[in-house]
Amino acid sequence: MQWVRKIHKWASVVVGIQFLLWLLSGLYFNLMDHTKASGRTYFSHNNQMINIDKNRLLEPKDVLTKFKPSISITQIYLLTEPYYVLTHKKGLYQDFENDYSLVNAYTGDLIEIDEQFAEKLAKQSYNGPSDVRSITLLQPPLTDIPKQKNATWQVNFVNDINTSVYIEVGTGRLVGYSDDNKRFADIFFMLHFMDYGNEGSFNNIQIILFAFFTLWLSLTGLIWTIELGIRGQYKIKRFQRK
Amino acid sequence: MSAVKNTRKLHQWLMLFIGTQFVIWSVTGAYMVFFDIDYIHGDSLVINHQTKINPDNIQYSLSSLQQRYPKAERVTLSTFINKEVYHFSVENKKYLVSARNGKLLSPLDENLAIEAAKHYYSGNGTVVDVELFIENPPFELSSRHLPAWRVNFDDIGAPAIYVSEQSGLLVGKRHEFWRLFDWMFRFHVMDYQDSEIENNLLFWFALFGIIASISGVVLVYFRVFKRNKKAVRFKFVNKSGIA
Repeated sequence: MQWVRKIHKWASVVVGIQFLLWLLSGLYFNLMDHTKASGRTYFSHNNQMINIDKNRLLEPKDVLTKFKPSISITQIYLLTEPYYVLTHKKGLYQDFENDYSLVNAYTGDLIEIDEQFAEKLAKQSYNGPSDVRSITLLQPPLTDIPKQKNATWQVNFVNDINTSVYIEVGTGRLVGYSDDNKRFADIFFMLHFMDYGNEGSFNNIQIILFAFFTLWLSLTGLIWTIELGIRGQYKIKRFQRK
Repeated sequence: MSAVKNTRKLHQWLMLFIGTQFVIWSVTGAYMVFFDIDYIHGDSLVINHQTKINPDNIQYSLSSLQQRYPKAERVTLSTFINKEVYHFSVENKKYLVSARNGKLLSPLDENLAIEAAKHYYSGNGTVVDVELFIENPPFELSSRHLPAWRVNFDDIGAPAIYVSEQSGLLVGKRHEFWRLFDWMFRFHVMDYQDSEIENNLLFWFALFGIIASISGVVLVYFRVFKRNKKAVRFKFVNKSGIA
């Protein structure tokens, strides 16, 4: 059984500190305020009623012919106006790489989500203090939202928790919220997933290696514990004869 | 030396009670990090079709559609099995209408659902069986996607492709690796009673686990790093011929 102890010892040398970090971050997930950690403290659903004049909507067929080939054309509302989103390249998910054109559904004009537009869109779902500190155009990867692979406006508000609202450049879609509470929780996710390169993934090479060593650590620990039990090492002193 | 002995006792006793969960954590954790999450999500089970709309095929106009369905919302024109279609909602119900001739294609019948599933599916398996879920979806499908057809394929991992009965859209792609992942996650967060990550069981095991692993780290320090120093000294003593 010497090899069991050897493996246990050396595996714990390798993963010891990370093991503690896993437990501490795990305990944090167990205790954290999930509403706060979602970054949506100042988020509210926008249920604005929009009245559009359906007779003024351009025929999709006529819009399609004016742009490069599209996979789909979707009617959406931004603020109070109807738009068409033309998808030229479709990712399997919205956050994956996509290629869009955004078109005014009444006029057929190609629209770009600029700084001012992004700010208005961000404010639509935001219910905190409304002063904006800065607006920045970000190219992926985004530190706060690593899974988003498309260009995104970051609208930074002035408040106690530094809320950032993310608006996709191509479509005006609300990508997500972040704030200091979420950024704090993200540190623990980084520690738990060993995502030290901020790839937004737990399939990185360092965690795969550590998980491999941890398997050896816990399985040898199990064998060792059973062995101790068989050898009668688990005795409570009070019941033992002197 | 008695401090080390006590630490060892503490480590042994704590692990006697919580060690099993440590094994579960390491096995489930390893499963979750070894398998690529995109693979787990079933991304490789489906083809991400890039079929382009041919505007010439659009013979049924949006205005005709709006006359027929005045309350149509969220209208999308795209393709369904390579044919131009309109997707839209009326209140909470979704519809699928051919953009070529205005024919209502929804709700999908079994044959059309199979055809759609085959179109989405990337593998070589054949269809084993088909089932329509109106309510009580299997745990692998969110109830917001109901009603939906489940089409099972005969292939590695028993893949299932879910097609919305109303919209014809792909709403789920699952295989055994996902199903197992779901179980692994539940065991990992000690979600044994269908609760959440904020459960008491996890709290106490994590808390005692921290004490147990701190004691383990202390033991590593004394038995690996300290012992080496002692070993060096011992060797030295031996050489002098005293011990």
